[in-house]
Amino acid sequence: MKSIKISFFAIASIILLLTSCHKHKHEEDTVGTVKVSFSHVWGMNSATFSLNQDLVHPMNGETMNFTTFKYYVSNLELKKEDGTYWKHPESYFLVNLADPTTATLEMTNVPTGHYTGFRYTLGVDSLRNVSGAQTGALSTANGMFWSWNSGYIMIKAEGTSPASSSGNFAYHLGGYAGTNNVVTTNTIEFTDHLELTENASKTIKMSANPAKLFHSDAIANGSSIMMPGSRAKSMATNFYSGFTFLGLE
Amino acid sequence: MKLIYFLFLGIVVISCKKKDQPFVITYPEYFPSPVYQFIDNTPTKSRFELGRKLFYDPILSEDNTVSCATCHAQTHGFADHGVSFSQGVHGLLGNRNAPTVFNLLWSPYFNWDGGVNHLEIFSLAPITNPVEMNESIENVLLKLNNTKVYRDAFKFAYGTEEITDQLMYRAISIFLAVIVSDGSKYDDFRQGKVSFTDEENAGYQLFKNNCASCHSEPLFTNFSFQNNGLDSVFVDLGRARITQESSDIGKFKVPTLRNIELTYPYMHDGRFMTLNMVLNHYDSGIKHSPTLSSSLSQGIHFTSQERASLIAFLKTLTDYKLLDNAKFRE
Repeated sequence: MKSIKISFFAIASIILLLTSCHKHKHEEDTVGTVKVSFSHVWGMNSATFSLNQDLVHPMNGETMNFTTFKYYVSNLELKKEDGTYWKHPESYFLVNLADPTTATLEMTNVPTGHYTGFRYTLGVDSLRNVSGAQTGALSTANGMFWSWNSGYIMIKAEGTSPASSSGNFAYHLGGYAGTNNVVTTNTIEFTDHLELTENASKTIKMSANPAKLFHSDAIANGSSIMMPGSRAKSMATNFYSGFTFLGLE
Repeated sequence: MKLIYFLFLGIVVISCKKKDQPFVITYPEYFPSPVYQFIDNTPTKSRFELGRKLFYDPILSEDNTVSCATCHAQTHGFADHGVSFSQGVHGLLGNRNAPTVFNLLWSPYFNWDGGVNHLEIFSLAPITNPVEMNESIENVLLKLNNTKVYRDAFKFAYGTEEITDQLMYRAISIFLAVIVSDGSKYDDFRQGKVSFTDEENAGYQLFKNNCASCHSEPLFTNFSFQNNGLDSVFVDLGRARITQESSDIGKFKVPTLRNIELTYPYMHDGRFMTLNMVLNHYDSGIKHSPTLSSSLSQGIHFTSQERASLIAFLKTLTDYKLLDNAKFRE
C-alpha cells in the first residue's frame, strides 16, 4: 500500500514537473505584420508639419513653433471579413514627433487573411487610467501621466508663440471620464481589402494634422492647459477629427 | 521510489519557484473588504522588503535627501513630525499637511483632494512634486538601475533584469498596503480583550452621536469630501481643484481619526495644533459658505466634561503596536 502511495506521488510529481514549467504550445496560425504609419501635416493644404519650425496657423493666423508634440494611440483592431475584429494585445503607443520611429506602430503576429477595416482609439481608454501602475508606452517615465490628478495626458503640445504673453504655450490635454472625456475611437473601412499573407508586412497609412488643435481656438485665448476640461476636450477632439486614412501599402 | 519522489519534487521546486515567501496581510474581521486587489502584484516577503527599502531611501529624491519616511514617520503614525507643512528638497515647504499612510489598503483615492485614483501610482505625486522630492521618474529609474542592490532585489522579487516604474510602484504599494493600524485599545475593545474606562465609554457614545457619520468606524473615515467650515474664502479649493465643480469648493477628504493623538497638527493645512483647538473650531469657529457640510451648520457643542471624555476616547485609537512594529522600521 505504501509503495502504491509513493508511486502515486511520484507520478503526480512528474505531471507537476511537466505542467508547471512547460509553456503550453498552441497550434499557431500563420502570421504576418501590419504597421500603421502616421504622417503629420499642417493645415488643409497639407504642408509638412515639423517641430522647431515657425508655422502660421491657416485659420487664426497665429505663428507657432512646436518644441514637443506627443499623443497616444491605442487599441488597434483589424476588421475581419465576418465583421468581427482581431484585437492587437497590449496595444498602446506613444507617438512622439521628436522620434520619427514612434510614428509607425507595429503589430506583429497578426493572423494572415483578409481584413476589411481598421479600428483604433485616440487617447488611452478609461480602464488604463484607473488601473494603477502601467508599463511600456503607458509608463509614467514618459511624463504623460498627471501625478496630482490621475489620468493620462493624451496629447502634449508645447512650444513658443508671439501670440502668448509669456512667449510659450503648453497644452496638456486629456480626460477619460464624464463630460471631459476626450477618448475617441475611429473606424475605417478599407476600399480594397488588406490581404495579409504569411510573414508579409502591410502598412495602413494615416495622416494627422496638429493645426486642428486650433480649429476653433487660438493661443491668444490662453496659452496653457494642464488638466481635463471643456477647452481641453474641444482642442483634443478637433485634433482627433483630423485623422485621415490615406491608403494601404 | 521515495528518493525519486523527493528528487522530482526538488526539481519542481528549484526549476520553477524562487525561494521567496508568501506574505499574508491580516486585519480584523470587522474591517471592510480591501480596495487594493494586488492584481499582478501578489505580496511576498521580498517584495515587501523591497518596498520598505524604497520607502526609506532618499534615492527617490532629486538630491538624495528626502525619502517617503522623511514626512511619513512611523513614530508619528506615519505622518510628519508635528509640522503643518513638510520640508521637501532645498527646504521647500509643501502647502498641505502630510497625511498618514496606514490603512491605505482600504482607501479608494489618495491625498486631501482625492486626486490620485490608485494606490500603485500614489507615490508618483511626492516623487515628482517640485516642493517634495522634485525628481523625474526617468531619473529615479536610472539611479535604481545603476544600483546593484536594487537590480538584485528587483530581480529576486519580480524576476526581471530591468527595473521599471511599474515594478517600483508595485513594491512600494505592497509595503504601504501592509501598514495596517488595527492594534489600538479600540481594536482590543472591539475584540472583547479589554474594557473601556467609564470616561472612554462616555466619549465613545459622544463620538457615535456626533462624529461617526463622517469619521465612520472601523476606519474612522467614510472617505467623503466635506467642507468642515474652516474658511469662507478659499485659498485652497480642495476637491474642486480636481472636479472643477463649484459644489466641491473648500471640500477635503475626511481624514481617519486612528492615531489622531500623534498626528497633529490637524486639518489639510495643519492649522490646529491640539485636539482642543479642533473641538473649539467645531464648537464656535464654523465659517459659513455654500458648500459647508450640512451636519456642521449649527456646530458641534460639548461641555468641558464631554470634551475630556471624547478626547479620552480618541486616545484609544492610538496604535502603539504600529509604532513599535519592527517590520515597518528602516
